[in-house]
Amino acid sequence: MNISIKRLFGRKPKSSNIAKQRLKLVITQDRLDVDDRFMTRLHHELAEVLAKYFEFSVNSVQMSLKQEGNSYVLVADIPYKKFHDTNPRR
Amino acid sequence: MGKIIVVTSGKGGVGKTTSTANLGTALALLGKTVVVVDADVGLRNLDIVMGLESRIVYTSMDVIEKQCELSKALVKDRRVDGLTLLAASQKNNKDDMQPEEMKAICEKLGETHDYVLVDSPAGIERGFSNASAGADEAIVVTTPDVSAIRDADRIIGLLQHAGIEPINLILNRFSPQLVGSGSMMDQDDVLDILNIDLLGIVPEDPGVITSTNRGIPLVYEDASPGSQAYMRIARRVTGQRIPIPELEQRGFLSNIVNWFTRNR
Ligand SMILES: Nc1ncnc2c1ncn2[C@@H]1O[C@H](COP(=O)(O)OP(=O)(O)OP(=O)(O)O)[C@@H](O)[C@H]1O
Ligand SMILES: [Mg+2]
Repeated sequence: MNISIKRLFGRKPKSSNIAKQRLKLVITQDRLDVDDRFMTRLHHELAEVLAKYFEFSVNSVQMSLKQEGNSYVLVADIPYKKFHDTNPRR
Repeated sequence: MGKIIVVTSGKGGVGKTTSTANLGTALALLGKTVVVVDADVGLRNLDIVMGLESRIVYTSMDVIEKQCELSKALVKDRRVDGLTLLAASQKNNKDDMQPEEMKAICEKLGETHDYVLVDSPAGIERGFSNASAGADEAIVVTTPDVSAIRDADRIIGLLQHAGIEPINLILNRFSPQLVGSGSMMDQDDVLDILNIDLLGIVPEDPGVITSTNRGIPLVYEDASPGSQAYMRIARRVTGQRIPIPELEQRGFLSNIVNWFTRNR
């Protein structure tokens, strides 16, 4: 009895909706991965900007896309040697 | 100059060969001249699905190796005017053929036919490159499940990269009952993900299997839902504006049934 009531009134999401949500996520990731030029370009442009502030080796920069729950996170690992002096007048 | 259309999918077994056979026959029934080309070298099936397997003498490989003229390699389908098949070699494999060679064959066939339909093998490797090399347009076949759709998206990316346009979708093995009960994605869900135009929806139809058993494409049987779906698709390919019918997925009775049986 309990089970059938749950069946009638329960809000268990339809499996087709779950399929759609999962697909949307994985396909976004697939599409980004297909285009690795995107990551290379981002890597270069980010390094260019960061070089104004830090001293670091471009090759040591690690970048990756990660999925956390329902969203994507761009993780950049940048081992730096030191900050540039950002205020030369001091 | 005819249209060269590659029928492809990414994932195997979703209905490329079934779609090529039925769409090709349907176009011929509409009075067009059509050649269906099996590009699944080494795993040929289009001949047997169409019931022409006993009449194959030459294959596209013989044409490439200059063993015979292209026109001589075409097998005429005697049941309808204007339909021929170019078979794939069964004893070779996909690497024995160059994309340029397939392209040259398709372009030559396009000079003398309204439609050249190329049945692509599954996968994203050489067989796919061969099959799509000469294509102006593409039809992507998918079933409404996660793995087929994911692979379809990958193939769509490759087709777009190759500049093949338009790319249209056939949604195959669709079950209105499963959609109604919430266990299968509907066409809007699939289109929302893949973002290409829908050419048609083919329902799950046991007639596909029996017609394949007999080697008589389903479109010769007017009554079956699968047959009607492929006839509508053929008309759309020729440019007719045929609306995609609301599949009877939400009839009153089935709505009630679904209400009791949902959440699967
Ligand atoms: N609408 C349908 N209803 C029922 N069965 C179907 C339908 N479409 C295809 N099938 C069945 O699915 C199977 C695979 O179909 P088909 O050979 O056309 O797929 P394919 O994409 O060409 O496969 P492959 O990737 O191996 O070349 C066959 O047994 C076929 O009869
Ligand atoms: Mg096939």
